[in-house]
Amino acid sequence: MRLRTRAHARWPGGEVPPVAGFITSSFSPLAAEVARLCLQQVEPGRETAVIIVSPSGDTVTAAATRQAVASARRPGPLLFFQAVPNAVAGHIAARWDLRGPVVCLSPDAASLEPGLDAARLVIRDGDAEEALVILIEQSEVGDSAEAVLVKGIRP
Amino acid sequence: MNGSGLGSGHRRGRAEVAVTGMAVTTAYGRGGDALLAGVLSGAAAFSPVTRFDVSARRVRTAATLPGSPVLRDELTAVIDQACDQAKLSAAQRASAPLFLAAHQRADLPRRRQRAVTYTSACVAASTAVADAASTIAHGDAERVVVAAGYVVEPDQFALFDAGRALATDDAVRPFSKGRKGLLLGDGVAAIVLEADPREPLAWIRGWGRAGDAYHVCQPRPDGSGLARAIGAALRRAGVGAGDVDYVNAHGSGSPQSDAAEAAALRAAGLDTVPVSSTKSLHGQALEASPLIELITTVLAANSGTLPVNAGFLEPDPDCPLNVILGEPLARFPRYPLIVNSAFGGANTALLVGAA
Repeated sequence: MRLRTRAHARWPGGEVPPVAGFITSSFSPLAAEVARLCLQQVEPGRETAVIIVSPSGDTVTAAATRQAVASARRPGPLLFFQAVPNAVAGHIAARWDLRGPVVCLSPDAASLEPGLDAARLVIRDGDAEEALVILIEQSEVGDSAEAVLVKGIRP
Repeated sequence: MNGSGLGSGHRRGRAEVAVTGMAVTTAYGRGGDALLAGVLSGAAAFSPVTRFDVSARRVRTAATLPGSPVLRDELTAVIDQACDQAKLSAAQRASAPLFLAAHQRADLPRRRQRAVTYTSACVAASTAVADAASTIAHGDAERVVVAAGYVVEPDQFALFDAGRALATDDAVRPFSKGRKGLLLGDGVAAIVLEADPREPLAWIRGWGRAGDAYHVCQPRPDGSGLARAIGAALRRAGVGAGDVDYVNAHGSGSPQSDAAEAAALRAAGLDTVPVSSTKSLHGQALEASPLIELITTVLAANSGTLPVNAGFLEPDPDCPLNVILGEPLARFPRYPLIVNSAFGGANTALLVGAA
C-alpha cells in the first residue's frame, strides 16, 4: 500500500498550549498541538486512523507516578487518565472527528516509519482511508514532535 | 467438531492465518491447562495483594501469581514455549517478526528478531494480532510471533486505584447490575501465527479495528465504534452475525464501558449470542488481556466448554445480553469472537475459526 502525504508539521519549539484534563507532562499537549499544526492545513476524512509513535513514551507522567508511589502518596487521579498514549489519541480523534483505528507504538528509534507501516496495514485492510501519524519524543535534551497526514493510494 | 477448518464464504486469494503455538501464564498458573481449568472452575483468581504494599490503596485485591514474577523472564519463557509447540526451527524463530504488547518498550526480552511494541493500552495485544494476521494474509511474512505481558505492579495499581477504576467489592461483575469496576491480573502470553499450516490450533478468520472519536477515556455510549470493528471482522471472514456462536467480551466490569459494549453487540446483531467476559475470572491484564482472552477462547472452544461470566448479581437493563451464567456452556463454537476496547475510543474485534 503506497501512501501520499497530505500534510506535515513539525513542532517549532516554544510554549505548548495546555490541554484541559492533562497535567504535569508536556507529552499529551505536544501531541495535540502538532496534530493541530498538521490538520489545520487540510480537512481530514472521518475514516482517519490516529497513530501515536513514541520511543520514550510519556516519561514525565511515568516519573510522577513512580515518585508518588515511592513516597507512599496517592498519585493525582488525572495521571491515571493520561498514563497511556490512547488518551491523547482519543482527544485528537474527538476534536477532529477521526473515527479510524487508534494505534500506539514504541519503536527503538524516533522515526515516523513504524507509524507509517501501521498506517499501511489499517488502510490496506480497509479500516481507514487516511492516517494521522504523530511522533513524540521526550528526553533530557528536550521534547520533539512531528505529525503527518497520509492517504492510501488505491489502484 | 467440524474438522474442515473452512468458514462459509471465507475469502480466497489470501493466505489462511492460523494459530500454531500458544503459551500463557496467569494467576491460575503457568500453561494453558492451568488457565482452562481455572476459568472453567468458575472461581475467580482474585486474592489480597501481597506482592507490594497496598495499605494506602482503597482496593487491595488483584489476580496474581505467588511472588514477584519478572516480566522479561516470563515473556521469554512463553515465547519459547509457543515456538516449541509450533515446532519452529532456530532459523524460523530468528527470522519471524515479533509483535509485542506491553506498557513500555523496556520490558522487551533480549531481541532475537525484528520487533514492534504496541502500547495502546487494553487493545495493544489485539491490535498486534490483527496486524500480524494482516501481514501474513497479504504474504508479507510466513509467520509472526505475537507476545504480550503485564504483571501487577505498584505504579499501575496506584494509578487505577487513584482513578477509582478498581472494584471496591473485590469482584469483577461484567454486565451485571451493581458492577463497580475492574481488578488487575497477571497475564503473559505468546502465540505463533502462520500461513496455511498443516496443524492449526485455530484459524484467525477476521479482524477489525475502529475508533469512537468521542472522549479521552470514555467509550461512545452507542457502541458504534466497536460495532464497526466487529462488522469489519465479520466481513473480512465472509461470515454474518448469525454465524457467530460465542463472544468473549471485553467486559471490564466498568459501569459505562459495559453498557457501551452491550450497545455495540446489539448493534452488531450479537445480543442473543452466548457471551462471557473472562476478565471476571483472570482479571484485567491491560496490554496483554486480549491475548489472554484469545488463548482462553481457543482452549475453551477446542474443549467444547465455554466459560461463565463470573461475578454476576442480577441483570442490568442497560446490558441485555445472553450472558453465560451458573455453569460453563457445553458447545464447540465454530466462530467465536473476541472483542476489546480501550481508552481513547480504541476498539478491536478478532474472529476465530474452529480448527
